[in-house]
Amino acid sequence: MTESAIRVARVSKYFISPFRRRVTVGLSDLNLEIAPGEVYGLLGPNGSGKSTTLKIILGLIPPTRGDVTIFGQEHNSVRTRRHIGFLPENAYYHKFLTGAETLRFHAKLSGLSARETPARIDDLLELVGLTRARQARLSTYSKGMLQRIGLAQALIHDPKILVLDEPTAAVDPAGSRDIQNLIASLKARGVTVLLSSHLLTQVQEVCDRVGILHRGKLLREGRLDELLAVENQMELVLENASPELLTNIEREVTAAQARVITRRTSLTSLEQFFLKVTHDSKE
Amino acid sequence: MKAILIPLFLVSFGYGKLQLERAVLPPSSLSHSLQPVLDPTERIGQTALVGILGGFRAVVADLLFIDGFFAWERTDWSHLLMRLRQVTMLQPHMLMFWDVAAWHMAWNASTAALNDTTKSPALRQRTQYEYFELGRDFLERGIASNPQRPELYEALARLYRDKYQDHARASENFAAAACLPESAAYDERFAAYELASCPGREREAYDRLHALYLRGERERLPTLLGRLRALEQQLDIPAPERIPPAVKH
Amino acid sequence: MIASARRSFAIAGATFTELARLRVFYVLILFALVLIFSATFLARISFQQELQVTRDIALGAIDFFLSLLAIVATAQLLPRDLEDRVVYSILAKPVRRFEYLLGKFFGALALLAASLVVMSILCLIVLHFREAAALRSAQQQLAPLGAEQVAVATRAIHIAGVNPVFFSALAFTLLKTAVLVAITLAVSSFATSSIFTISALAMVFLIGHLEGIARDYWLSEHAVGWVTRAFLAVIVFVFPDFEAFNLSDQLAGSALLAAPLLLKTGLLALFYIVSYLIVAVAIFSQREL
Repeated sequence: MTESAIRVARVSKYFISPFRRRVTVGLSDLNLEIAPGEVYGLLGPNGSGKSTTLKIILGLIPPTRGDVTIFGQEHNSVRTRRHIGFLPENAYYHKFLTGAETLRFHAKLSGLSARETPARIDDLLELVGLTRARQARLSTYSKGMLQRIGLAQALIHDPKILVLDEPTAAVDPAGSRDIQNLIASLKARGVTVLLSSHLLTQVQEVCDRVGILHRGKLLREGRLDELLAVENQMELVLENASPELLTNIEREVTAAQARVITRRTSLTSLEQFFLKVTHDSKE
Repeated sequence: MKAILIPLFLVSFGYGKLQLERAVLPPSSLSHSLQPVLDPTERIGQTALVGILGGFRAVVADLLFIDGFFAWERTDWSHLLMRLRQVTMLQPHMLMFWDVAAWHMAWNASTAALNDTTKSPALRQRTQYEYFELGRDFLERGIASNPQRPELYEALARLYRDKYQDHARASENFAAAACLPESAAYDERFAAYELASCPGREREAYDRLHALYLRGERERLPTLLGRLRALEQQLDIPAPERIPPAVKH
Repeated sequence: MIASARRSFAIAGATFTELARLRVFYVLILFALVLIFSATFLARISFQQELQVTRDIALGAIDFFLSLLAIVATAQLLPRDLEDRVVYSILAKPVRRFEYLLGKFFGALALLAASLVVMSILCLIVLHFREAAALRSAQQQLAPLGAEQVAVATRAIHIAGVNPVFFSALAFTLLKTAVLVAITLAVSSFATSSIFTISALAMVFLIGHLEGIARDYWLSEHAVGWVTRAFLAVIVFVFPDFEAFNLSDQLAGSALLAAPLLLKTGLLALFYIVSYLIVAVAIFSQREL
């Protein structure tokens, strides 16, 4: 049996206010296992404990109880963090640095050698579409660009695990699509991705499994197709079907004592429509 | 574990700190320069003020000294005295402050007091003497704060010589200065000159001046030669032992 | 070890650049330079006095502004990184918390050293010209009185101007500043705002200049009452003695400074810096980000 990429075992986190007046439950007895190469979405409303979970996994805050391992190793060691890349939510980076300088800075922190750094920076800037902006200071970057440079710094040391906190928040649909494509390509390379989000539609497109957090508790967890399947109902999408064919199908369904619930023209998503229109207008 | 480590660290840090600080800074040298006050609260206040000023002590002392200069120009002796006390408290190792303070009191203020025709002659003399004492006090406290510096001993010697006409004490102080590093070349000579003016100590003075004479050309200055010849006459030194008449500087 | 140093220096470099862009840095440097320059316009009493006043004001300005810069600049480092969440992207990397703090310390210190160099160069230029003028004046006025008098006056001028103790005073100012940076980081490691840190350091600065007096009283028989002694003990055991880095006494007295004193003071500074940084690391390691 392969080792879990991330294993969270009975983790609880209590926040105690000054003078011990009030105890806030951040997490309560959380159990989580993420397999290598899996894309796992941690969902929940604001204040549900998503960021707390990510910070505990990254060793930024200690759990009150329980423990966390990364590929079977202690999660809070420097050696383990070599395998992890992190994109914080709404993070700013040193505004006085340029895009390339930011990546160089993070490369040094990650232990990349001076020899391999320039090529790695070039590759990543191209991957996130910031090659033209490499010499511009981060103070001139838009939010989307900052998010992309954030992704680049998270990937600088080619990590095995990528942790993304609200990766598509404050990003336009095109940028969001790019990030989703990037996650898909990383998954194809065997990178494990843990992302937290409250934008459910976007998560749906990219995750293998999701967990739903609410008030520090994991309410449901599982594969998307299993969680979202509606019992006893099937969808059949037809192309170029004539009205006579549709009538025959309905007759067969009724004869078999089943029921047609809805009959309507298929709709694309607003996001897909937006992307198509903006793509066409560029051409 | 924290309950053990934290107090242990505090105690180790405090102890190590104390030892190092005492090695670098011996007990405050400020005590000699402080005003001769009896009230411990005032003493604490003075030392606290000195501490608070920190690196600006020197600057504040300089500015107060400049203010003292203007007080001198106005012949406001009480204001001048206050400033001189303040600057010597703030900068006890600034020799110039002690020297100038003594000079203002023992020379300038004392002369002004003696020439103050609004007062009776007896009062003028007494006030003059009090200023001499203030000057002497400044120099003695300055020496206590800077025992290895010859300049203040020299100044005290001049005070005894010129104001008290106490040649014995003047000689002692010139001699004390001469024993210290970086003393003036003339200190030993001046000590001997002053000794020559002390009744009953002429022989001692002669021996010292003669020893200086024997050191060579550098010491054979006109004053020394003159004093030596005078002592030779006074002590009736035998002719073969006298310095040759042809010797001139 | 080398990788660890590389990470700390990367953070130090970023810290240096960050602080060099602070507006307060330029304002404070400007004030210090103006003060040093304006010292030349003070009242003249004697050639020695003018030189001495210029030097004392210059050193006082450098000491004050460098201390102020140390506190204000360092106090902003951690809160800024926490607020901007820069600290998350750094500490999620294979960076130990002590490496992060060391990087902040050396970055701030590098900036302060650069500021000291700039201020010192101006100071030296001003004093050089003043001293040359004073020496010319002394020679003209005292030549008729003999070589000995000229030698005494020349020596007094050298003591009042630039001498080896002057450079030691500058070095000690930097040491004191380094201690201030270490303490500021220690307070900042648990403080929630830079205002709190700056206020706390203002108190530390004041108490640090009185620590020697507290120590003398605590060690002597004079202090009475266990409350007073306990209070003095807290000061003696916790606060540094900033007067140890004040060479104005030695500057006033002589052109010579004993090598053992330099060594002992350097050792004391190192002791303070290491100790306060250990406290900073211990607190920051436990801090929930």
